[in-house]
Amino acid sequence: MSTGGATLPAPRALPPWLESAVGQGLALLAAFAIAVSAGALIIILYGENPLSVYSAMLSFAFKDVTSVGTVLSIATPLIFAALAVSVCFKGGLFNIGVEGQFLVGMVTASWAALTFDFLPGLLHLAAVLLFACFGGMVYAAVPGILKVTTGAHEVVTTIMMNGIAISIVAYALNGPLRFTKAPPGQNVDLRTDIFEPSALVPDLGHVFGVGGSAHLSWLFPIAIVASAIVWFLFRRLRLGYEARVVGSSAGSARAGGIAIGGVQIKLFLISGALAGLTGMQQVLVERGALVQNYEAQLGFTGIAVAFLGQNNPIGIVFAAVLWAILSRGETALQLGTNLPREFVIILQGILIFSVVVVYQVAKRRLARRELQRAGAEVGLRDTATPEDEALQEA
Amino acid sequence: MDLTDIGASIRIAFTYFTILYLTGLGGLFSERSGIVNIGLEGLMVIGTVSGAAGAAIFAGPAPEGMGLGAGGVVLGLLFGALCGALFASVHAVATINFRVDHIVSGVVINLVAIGLARFLSFVFFEQATQSDPGGPHLARLDIPGLSDIPWGLGNAFQNLSPVVLFAAVLVFPVSFALYRTRWGLRLRSAGENPEATRSLGVAVAPLQWQGVLLSGALAGLSGAFLSVEVVLNWREGQTLGLGFIALAALILSNWDPRRLLVAAFLFGFAQAIPLRLDDAPLISLLPPQFINMIPYVVTIVAIAGFVAKVRPPAAAGRAYEGAGGT
Repeated sequence: MSTGGATLPAPRALPPWLESAVGQGLALLAAFAIAVSAGALIIILYGENPLSVYSAMLSFAFKDVTSVGTVLSIATPLIFAALAVSVCFKGGLFNIGVEGQFLVGMVTASWAALTFDFLPGLLHLAAVLLFACFGGMVYAAVPGILKVTTGAHEVVTTIMMNGIAISIVAYALNGPLRFTKAPPGQNVDLRTDIFEPSALVPDLGHVFGVGGSAHLSWLFPIAIVASAIVWFLFRRLRLGYEARVVGSSAGSARAGGIAIGGVQIKLFLISGALAGLTGMQQVLVERGALVQNYEAQLGFTGIAVAFLGQNNPIGIVFAAVLWAILSRGETALQLGTNLPREFVIILQGILIFSVVVVYQVAKRRLARRELQRAGAEVGLRDTATPEDEALQEA
Repeated sequence: MDLTDIGASIRIAFTYFTILYLTGLGGLFSERSGIVNIGLEGLMVIGTVSGAAGAAIFAGPAPEGMGLGAGGVVLGLLFGALCGALFASVHAVATINFRVDHIVSGVVINLVAIGLARFLSFVFFEQATQSDPGGPHLARLDIPGLSDIPWGLGNAFQNLSPVVLFAAVLVFPVSFALYRTRWGLRLRSAGENPEATRSLGVAVAPLQWQGVLLSGALAGLSGAFLSVEVVLNWREGQTLGLGFIALAALILSNWDPRRLLVAAFLFGFAQAIPLRLDDAPLISLLPPQFINMIPYVVTIVAIAGFVAKVRPPAAAGRAYEGAGGT
């Protein structure tokens, strides 16, 4: 039990929303400073100069327009994955299954790309993207329905679904979706047939002079639109409101007549649809087919990005770009320093931990201020006990 | 398929039982104290890499290692447990002192563990994703009597790692500590009603710290067993979600060390199906990729079917306000 509100300075006369925004900004800066200093310590232990290492990483990400394009294209799948995580999280659900949902989305999208190749132009692509969402949705529905009907915790079920999804991809590649048209006399790694160009997402980078190696496509603006839609959903639509109530207090939701199970299943479906788009960057932009050595783990990285962006759709876009800059920094480290590239993963890990902890501390401080202010308004001082605080947070 | 396959499957099940039981007991201590720990998988990952490193250092041949033989392997396993406990202290600080949501912190533990394991691997082995295969390990045991059962079933009790026996007999001291000692009573009461515990003059935070550190040590030991005793080297991703299956076994056991013994064995047996029973009747009709799904499907079905019948520690997952910090 700490000393409570008594040692805090009297509440300043800032409007609450501004105080909250300033508070969160400060929290983010503090978390960032902690991570950067901890990283600097490791760099020094390796006998390098932190300043030069950090500047090498940054300047590598921004050295030319193609490099910036690469950062954005790395960020694209992370935005989808993190949005998927955040949609469930707003409703108090932990969708650790984004990984599996995105794998299944890649399979259904590939099936659609190969099956609907008679559709003209953008219709073909639209069908493929729809099936990506659909695959993710169906796969996310399973843990959602299990949660609502049996109470099976989604953390356990979604993780198991991830394990199953790996086998689904392997089955698809070995069976129904296995390539039929191989160039004669060549060994081809296991993959699907190459998709028609109409199934692929058109390149966007060349408009800005970004080189083709960056793979910056229209998928990036689609990701931005998706994050705007998620923002709209949670700020302006009834489902968003209900989700926030369910997420912050199941008791009030029940008292308010919200069908908790229905909201949870809807959130899982939306989350799955977003997750399904995660794999499109590699399937429809970079490879033009589903290949055996696909890039995995994007769903898990999405969780980290969602936490880093504090589950805010706008924050997630910036968090994904930051994550991409750091990931690209691995190459800069290899080129210019003696640090192992794994340093970046450690830095990313420290960053999420400090963000999670610092935000928690900041949130409690802000909540305490709020209570003090409310107390002051009704003529009381420092009535906020930790128990009240817990109630307010629950 | 014949009885020899069944014997061999049971032996594989014993191996997986050991992993699931050690990790599950870890989760049990943590959750009984009120701290949900879904970071078990990540703690195991740290155990795999540091255990393999420890075994190489203490038991490896003379120029690089100390060549301590079996004692060195045990030290290596304990080193894995120690590193697991150290890493679990991050979860303890976050959840107990800073009152971060337990699941958020656990998820972060799992995420960070993958990167940290690579980093440690680079430090220990100078390569990021595996160590040299065929590392030092303990001599295998045949259980007297049982290993002589005819028709191939004795197979199940031959060639076992001593750690399997250690895990199996752990049920006695753990049950005793949990149900028959003052410490166990206090630990359980912290997980059921921390306010009441505090009101009786018992500090809750130290109990929860002990629970979380024990979970790290046991999950770390389990990971070290996997890399040192089963696979004989460290490989990235070798835990394969077993930490989560252990969590599922823990839920099924109703947080009881004796029932966990059974649950861990059943889930362990499910793991053996793709490995040894893929040509059993019915199973052999499935495409091989579907056979690989069986352990995961079994886990989901078991959780969905039984979760309504169990009761977690009442205060598990809830931030306890008296724990200190800001």
